[in-house]
Amino acid sequence: MAYAAAITALADPTRRAVLEQLRLGPRPVGEIAARLPVSRPAVSQHLRVLKDAGLVRDRAQGTRRLYSLNGDGLAELREYVNGFWDEALAAYERAANSETEGDDDGAGRE
Amino acid sequence: MEQVVSDLTLCKTVEVGAPPERAFRLFTEEMATWWPMKTHSVGEERAETVVFEPGVGGRVVERTLDGEEHVWGTVTVWQPPNRLVMTWHPGRGPETAQEVEVRFEPSGAGTRVELVHTGWELLGDRAAAMYENYDGGWRYVVGERFAAAANA
Repeated sequence: MAYAAAITALADPTRRAVLEQLRLGPRPVGEIAARLPVSRPAVSQHLRVLKDAGLVRDRAQGTRRLYSLNGDGLAELREYVNGFWDEALAAYERAANSETEGDDDGAGRE
Repeated sequence: MEQVVSDLTLCKTVEVGAPPERAFRLFTEEMATWWPMKTHSVGEERAETVVFEPGVGGRVVERTLDGEEHVWGTVTVWQPPNRLVMTWHPGRGPETAQEVEVRFEPSGAGTRVELVHTGWELLGDRAAAMYENYDGGWRYVVGERFAAAANA
């Protein structure tokens, strides 16, 4: 279930704080670490998890690497869950209604 | 912000021809007969079945061909044939559990089944913050597309 990665990533309060920093705009690791009570290597680690979960993206700018929010990630998460239940409930509906149709053992109209 | 967060409640409704007793049993104890295991599971291609253990404390457990078990959630409210609530954390630990409530209401000869998926406050604060920041796809998905789906 693809959305699990994003939810799991956001369950960590430090990662949410990192993400919150990126709301203000693209930032290098050092700048994020300077604003949080967390070491720079720890911030790097959190950024990697967030990136793997599709919530953050990065790009090189000169000698440093800038991190920014990946808005598509959360949008995808929403769409995924929405579609997830649509498909599951459509299968449920078919199962329930095929039984009902079976009861009158008629000439199988769709 | 509350507005945005509450928009993140996912609500789905289907009408089925079966009466509530039957609709409830099909949804729960007979889940394996209709649940799309190959696409809606942790193991995907390796997923074999899902067992819905009835009653409060019962688990919803996926079993894979390799004999692994993945707990999707645990029943917290069991009121057949009208209502059930379960925690929901497929593919992750119970510490990030969300909640799924399913209600079965008589509708003519059949049943109106309403599913509500909540617990987005985990994401909600962040989603709300991002909502302010993103005018593009995110605003569209949450503000329009999702709200429409939630209100459908």
